[in-house]
Amino acid sequence: MTWALLITAFVISTCGLIYELIAGTVASYLLGDSVTQFSTIIGVYLFFMGVGSFLSKYVEKNIILTFVQVELLVGLVGGSSATILFFMFEYVENFRILLYSLVGIIGVLIGIEIPLLMRILKGQLEFKDLVSKVFTFDYVGALLASLVFPLVLVPYLGLVRSSFLFGIFNVLVAIWTLHLFRKEIPWLNSMRTIAFTLVVGLTLGFAFSEKLVKMAETTSYHEHIIYSKSSPYQRIVITGGKRFKLFLNGNLQFNSQDEYRYHEALIHPALGSLPEAKKVLILGGGDGMAAREILKYPQVESITLVDLDPALTNLFSKQKLFIELNQDSLNSPRVKVINKDAFVWLRHCKQKFDLVVVDFPDPSNFSLGKLYTDTFYRQVKKVVNPDSLVVIQSTSPYFARNSFWCVVSTLESVGFKTIPYHAYVPSFGDWGYIIAWEGGASDSAGFQFGHHYPSGLKYVSKDSVASMLDFPADMKPSVREVNKLNNQSLVHLFEAEWDEYAETF
Amino acid sequence: MPKPSDSDDTRIKRSTFLKGLIGLAIAGGTGKFLYDRYNTLAHVPVRLLGPSMDFGHMVRDGSLKLDPNAPVSKKVKVLIIGGGIAGLSAGWWLKKEGIEDFMLLELEGKTGGNSASGENRVSAYPRGAHYIPLANAESTYVRMLFQELGIIETVDATGIATYNDLYLCHDPEERLFKDGSFQEGLVPNRGLRPEEKAEIERFFKVIVDYRNRRGSDGKPAFAIPLDLSSRDEEFLALDKMSMEQWLKQNNFSARPLLWYVDYCTRDDYGAKPADVSAWAGIHYFAGRRGRAANAEQNAVVTWPQGNGFVVQKLTEKLASHITTDACVFHIESKADAVRTAYIDRKSRKTFLIEADHLIFACPRFILPRVLKQDASKKSIDLDYVKEVVYPPWMVANITLRSLPPARGIARAWDNVCYLSDSLGYVVATHQNISTRLSSPTVITYYYPLADRRPDNGRMALYRADPEDWKESIVEDLMRMHPTIDRYIESIELWPWGHGMVSPGLGYIWGDTRQKLLQDLDRIVFAHSDMSGISNFEESQYRGVEAAIKVKAQLS
Repeated sequence: MTWALLITAFVISTCGLIYELIAGTVASYLLGDSVTQFSTIIGVYLFFMGVGSFLSKYVEKNIILTFVQVELLVGLVGGSSATILFFMFEYVENFRILLYSLVGIIGVLIGIEIPLLMRILKGQLEFKDLVSKVFTFDYVGALLASLVFPLVLVPYLGLVRSSFLFGIFNVLVAIWTLHLFRKEIPWLNSMRTIAFTLVVGLTLGFAFSEKLVKMAETTSYHEHIIYSKSSPYQRIVITGGKRFKLFLNGNLQFNSQDEYRYHEALIHPALGSLPEAKKVLILGGGDGMAAREILKYPQVESITLVDLDPALTNLFSKQKLFIELNQDSLNSPRVKVINKDAFVWLRHCKQKFDLVVVDFPDPSNFSLGKLYTDTFYRQVKKVVNPDSLVVIQSTSPYFARNSFWCVVSTLESVGFKTIPYHAYVPSFGDWGYIIAWEGGASDSAGFQFGHHYPSGLKYVSKDSVASMLDFPADMKPSVREVNKLNNQSLVHLFEAEWDEYAETF
Repeated sequence: MPKPSDSDDTRIKRSTFLKGLIGLAIAGGTGKFLYDRYNTLAHVPVRLLGPSMDFGHMVRDGSLKLDPNAPVSKKVKVLIIGGGIAGLSAGWWLKKEGIEDFMLLELEGKTGGNSASGENRVSAYPRGAHYIPLANAESTYVRMLFQELGIIETVDATGIATYNDLYLCHDPEERLFKDGSFQEGLVPNRGLRPEEKAEIERFFKVIVDYRNRRGSDGKPAFAIPLDLSSRDEEFLALDKMSMEQWLKQNNFSARPLLWYVDYCTRDDYGAKPADVSAWAGIHYFAGRRGRAANAEQNAVVTWPQGNGFVVQKLTEKLASHITTDACVFHIESKADAVRTAYIDRKSRKTFLIEADHLIFACPRFILPRVLKQDASKKSIDLDYVKEVVYPPWMVANITLRSLPPARGIARAWDNVCYLSDSLGYVVATHQNISTRLSSPTVITYYYPLADRRPDNGRMALYRADPEDWKESIVEDLMRMHPTIDRYIESIELWPWGHGMVSPGLGYIWGDTRQKLLQDLDRIVFAHSDMSGISNFEESQYRGVEAAIKVKAQLS
């Protein structure tokens, strides 16, 4: 009996310290600056343990029942603490208030536990024995927790599952106490029912915590998710209602409200200058929006669209909502969709095109960075004629000006002549494009915009294109580098530049 | 407070007993459910492959015998035994010289030797050698082959090569997991004390100095191939001490630096600095002077299947000359010809080949097992072969659903964990250019059994259960990627009982290697064990040199 209760002291002190460590780790993950997080959390936690100890003196009747209730509460709150913190991070205005309240609540409850336990034991041990034994077990438990946490729990179970696991331990202590004192506890059966329900709930949480974490991920979109699918290549998420947004791997690809600006600026300055263009190639652009703009030109006979992901092109050729937006472009007899890796496809391509549209996601990682290298543009060069044009979406010359001009330099390094331009797309900001062409040796006159635009454009016109060509001083580069497979300069620049903005906002 | 007491229910009630039983059953069931759910590793299939040992051991035991009356199946001018880089390079050179009357015998079902590779539905992957550094100016055969295979695209007037940038290792090339996070490059640079930093800088200054030094004979101190190195006593003396002694002598004692050197000798020679000659240890760093117009000096070329790429290209060129699954068990050097017998591993038929010249392009430890000496003559002493050390390795190819996350910089081609016994892993799909962000991949994990004597290592290599290997490999990888066990689809183990040759003290510039360099009547040798350093350049050099020798004897 005495031993049983001493082991209880051991278990609850282990659990208590684990919750503290979990809160500290989650806070360092989410807020950074681990020194601050850990020291404030330890401080708050210890202080509230003191508060708990103080409050324990107001418990006068039913000490054992209160002890059990406290255990159950600790199990519930502590057990789900990691999940609560991860989940609420996206929703709560001031995360720190939630964090410290949670730590405070757990602290108070743990603070009540040990004094209550000592009072339960006082009839069975002499005072000096009581104090010595309870604290011995308490501190040994703390040592165990502090070793097990970094060595076993974090690497093998992860934070969410660890916290559920220790919640279960707390509830088991409650159940054990109920059993030991089953003769003298009021409401025994209802307490038991609550305890078993909690065990089941926490076990389910433990078993399905992976799913919970995934759910927490999807909450990071601000709007209602109307479609989401993980293809083998990427995660496709569409949010919104009447107006919607497409995200690939969490990055915004377009907003139906202003995508026309992005796609008109991508296509018309180039294609409006090619009255003879018959064959067009689109690399990327599986949403069919670029194809929609190109289909406005009657002289274009065929569009070849190479996009890796069939999940995306199927979505935009079959779902009513999206067909309305891209005007069913992907089902046009003039459009041929090929689901292959653009680079691999280009290497085996024997055809030539009058216009090539390169519309890949931004070079935010090393895989995508390869699609902006000199090696890639050399492959593009193989599929164009001297008077063909290439147009490339190339990130924001305002937010990432060195990245933008790095793409320009890379194109020029393989012998393309270039005209950089930019357009304002509210959802994205000021966005950059580059027209590139091979040109012959005699092509000294440079490129002239033709301005043969189809009717009904909302954004591109002769006047707006003129304004797109002007780059003010804050969009000029400070370094010019060529992006190669073996240096990936662009990704390094891009990371540095967008990080800067992520920090300022 | 009344004590709770058990006195009135010492006998367990029937209902309590049943409840207990049900409770136990539920607990057991839940436990099993959770265990299966989280012990994902138990379901991961592991396959043990590796170079064929059955026939190899039959040769060693002498259980294969040639019938003295066996007829000659075929006569050729040159017979090459061994389809690794040395043997293939010998064939490549013979063909270049217009000699078509030759045959190449390979024990395995596929050529490759230490540059073997495999392939599954995800990717091709290496089982051994996996990269080649930019070729030095003096590595003329390498440059010749590189140009022929399009690895070098153009060479300008000053001799600077432009490499095919699809083959140059893409950035990020290397990363090191140290202090809980990945850093760029393999030389430790996180969390160093100033004096450690200074020592690492001093080390590389010494290396750069060696790299640029020339001996009084005008040759570079450290050349590739190493036979073109200076013979100045100042440099050769380094061969008589171990890399560990050299470090101590030069007051290098910073732990991160010692780890790095230890990693490098294990990586290139499968042995610890105490077991590697200082000359070889320094050669690893100071030998590379290759330059390219479109890459930095320390760049390398690599392919999904590693050096298996070059093997495939050479094999295509030599296809009509190659016989695979041919286990040679009998070589007899006569005055006018060399008689070689092999057994076809599939049909189990024996063939006898008579050749004017033999190029023996296998590791030398095989020679005493297959060479049948003429009893009437004074026998040739082959005991020196025992001095050549081939440490054992374990190479594991692990197929992943995708690369697991890790802290620190983004995934690189070569990924190493600080203070691990393994050499980390390389990513087979690193050279792919794709719009997909995460896709299945194969990683190749290298583990030299460098901490024990080679024979003990070989015993450990084969004795351990594949399941144990799986566990220890995954455990090691989990230091870098705590969740990797949930990404693994399958594991292929490829144990190398005799891996690359290792340059022990005095091996490179001592007597043993001199003996390996000598011909045996009509037998010419070609293998990187004649260099003491096992890499592509040395193997190819030995192969080409052997072919040149044979050509001279033919005409």
